Amino acid sequence: MTSARGPRLEFAVGAFLLLALASLLVLAIASTNGQFGFSRGGTYPLTARFSNLGQLRPNAPVKVGGVTIGRVTDIDLDPVRFDSIVTMKIDERFNEIPADTSAAILTGGLLGESYIGLAVGGDLEVLQPGEEIAFTSPAVDLMQMVGKYMFGGGGGDADAATPASPEAGLASPDAPSNEGVTP
Amino acid sequence: MPDVTAPAVLLRDVRLDRGGRSVLSGIDLSVPRGSVTAVLGPSGSGKSTLLSALTGELVPAAGTVEVFGQRVPTRMRDLLELRKSIGVLLQGNGLLTDLTAGENIALPLRLHTKLPKPVIARLVAMKLQAVGLRAAGDLYPRELSGGMARRVALARALALDPPLMIYDEPLTGLDPIASGVIMSLIGRLNASLGLTSIIVTHHVHETLPVADHAIVIANGRIVFQGTPAELEASDDALVRQFLRGEPDGPIAFDRGDLARMEAAR
Amino acid sequence: MTAGIRALGRAGLFSLSVFRASKPTADFFAELVREIYKIGGRSLPIIAVGGAFVGLSLTLLGYRALETYGASNQVSVLIGLGLYRELAPVLTALLFVGRAGSSISAELGLMRATDQITALGLMAIDPVAKVVAPRFWAAVICVPLLTAFFCSLALSASWFQAVQILGIDNGMFWQAMQDAVDFRADFLTAFLKSAVFGGTAALVASYVGFHAEPTIEGTSVATTRAVVNASLLVLMFNFVMSAFLFR
Repeated sequence: MTSARGPRLEFAVGAFLLLALASLLVLAIASTNGQFGFSRGGTYPLTARFSNLGQLRPNAPVKVGGVTIGRVTDIDLDPVRFDSIVTMKIDERFNEIPADTSAAILTGGLLGESYIGLAVGGDLEVLQPGEEIAFTSPAVDLMQMVGKYMFGGGGGDADAATPASPEAGLASPDAPSNEGVTP
Repeated sequence: MPDVTAPAVLLRDVRLDRGGRSVLSGIDLSVPRGSVTAVLGPSGSGKSTLLSALTGELVPAAGTVEVFGQRVPTRMRDLLELRKSIGVLLQGNGLLTDLTAGENIALPLRLHTKLPKPVIARLVAMKLQAVGLRAAGDLYPRELSGGMARRVALARALALDPPLMIYDEPLTGLDPIASGVIMSLIGRLNASLGLTSIIVTHHVHETLPVADHAIVIANGRIVFQGTPAELEASDDALVRQFLRGEPDGPIAFDRGDLARMEAAR
Repeated sequence: MTAGIRALGRAGLFSLSVFRASKPTADFFAELVREIYKIGGRSLPIIAVGGAFVGLSLTLLGYRALETYGASNQVSVLIGLGLYRELAPVLTALLFVGRAGSSISAELGLMRATDQITALGLMAIDPVAKVVAPRFWAAVICVPLLTAFFCSLALSASWFQAVQILGIDNGMFWQAMQDAVDFRADFLTAFLKSAVFGGTAALVASYVGFHAEPTIEGTSVATTRAVVNASLLVLMFNFVMSAFLFR
């Protein structure tokens, strides 16, 4: 009872489905961030406190020297000390991060997304799962900085005005251009 | 347990309403098994409404409708079982346009029986042979002429060998030869397969030669029940007007004011 | 007013009956394959061409807009997010409604007018199961796949326009897009939306066609109503879904 159209119809539909699934696969790989959700290997959590997060969002990457080793999973505000607590999950392969590593919030280029950049220290002790990174520098608020340089006058005022660690604060504008801009 | 001596169809004091209006009332009808019954009447007299009551599409507002000794059920599952034993040939044929003639006939067999494919193919060939279209099995409905399509629809209605066949205006749109073919098929199949047939039509003169039993419906009632010979000999004014095709008489010529009254309701 | 609410209720009950009538029989799958060809395979050309032109014009527009901020090399971010979040599901669905939705309602209206649906009922075959359910599931399967085609062509056209014609760096094009488009939040939601839109379009078109007046005029009225109502519902559901999914 199968008409002559039967096998040709089935072939056409099969080809259509195959082509569509193939294009789905290609699209998923070529145009998305590849966060498919299955953790290849395990991850372990680390936390860090920042006084200013800037544009950091959950799922932002955590990078060392430009290479992503983890993601931001949670952002919360401490109700007592009023600084933000960022929880990250780091790939288990990198479980020997020295305890004196510092974390900074950087931007990829002028308009890129915010991410956490880790500057690895030299301590023999390593960060344990759930431990807090001790040294952090907050996000640089571009507009504030511009305002201060424009209206702050000389370098002395500018030095006094920049918050927390000045070296980290001044180093940050350089770091993004090395780490963030892709070739 | 269905009563073997019960008439094929029995209506007792049935009233049928459509859209709040009473189309037929006081209907008492008995169709004996194995007979060919012609239901005649002018257009709009309610003949198709009568068929709807038999197939369970329309629930009677009053009275009972029995098919083979059992009341027409209202529950869907029982109704579906009943419909498998009634073959219906519709005015528009109702052939599925995506399927060939053979696939159309095979459809009820495939869906309602667990017969293997070769058996179904043989049955389809048999049904096509019975209506004289053995070679048309692979044609699509659009490739068939009016008469051929009507015959394929007939073969499909006969697919499950139903004991009761209902024909709704089977001669619509057919030329005289095709009409003759269909009517002779209806008569022969009724005799050879032991069916009971009910033909709703207004083609009186083509149908009466094949029928053993005739009913005339007009003005919302049955105005005549009997054999075709009695029908021809009747001197009821309604019947005579209908048989002779006269525009004037007890059956009102619809000038449109009836339709206007309907629309205003 | 009450008539409108009752009509909505009837449509809802019809949709429920479509779900109840969807049984995985061999006949259902045969019909499903046939419908996937008719509504998916045959819609491919219009989706593909539409996608390509949307990609081209969006890239041009995005480039001009971002040039002012010196951020024109981020145009792929605009394309990627814009396509996946809103444009691809909605435009594919609207093109689908116009091409396949109208053909579904026309076919069903014609079936109603030529007594095919009545005949099925009289043969104790549920017409909703035989005729409507395969079309519904075919639409739910096909529209996400058609959206995938739309995106591939739009992105390819966009790449061509941006990299070959406007001179944006090839690596930058892909890198910026990959950084910005999240697999779960953007990519998967696009296809979830498409599936919802496909199902909606099929239900509206089927309902209108199935209940059309059994006349020629009835069929044409049904087709117009199907396209209009389905398009509006797609746009409404798009807003509702975006509001929930993209906070």
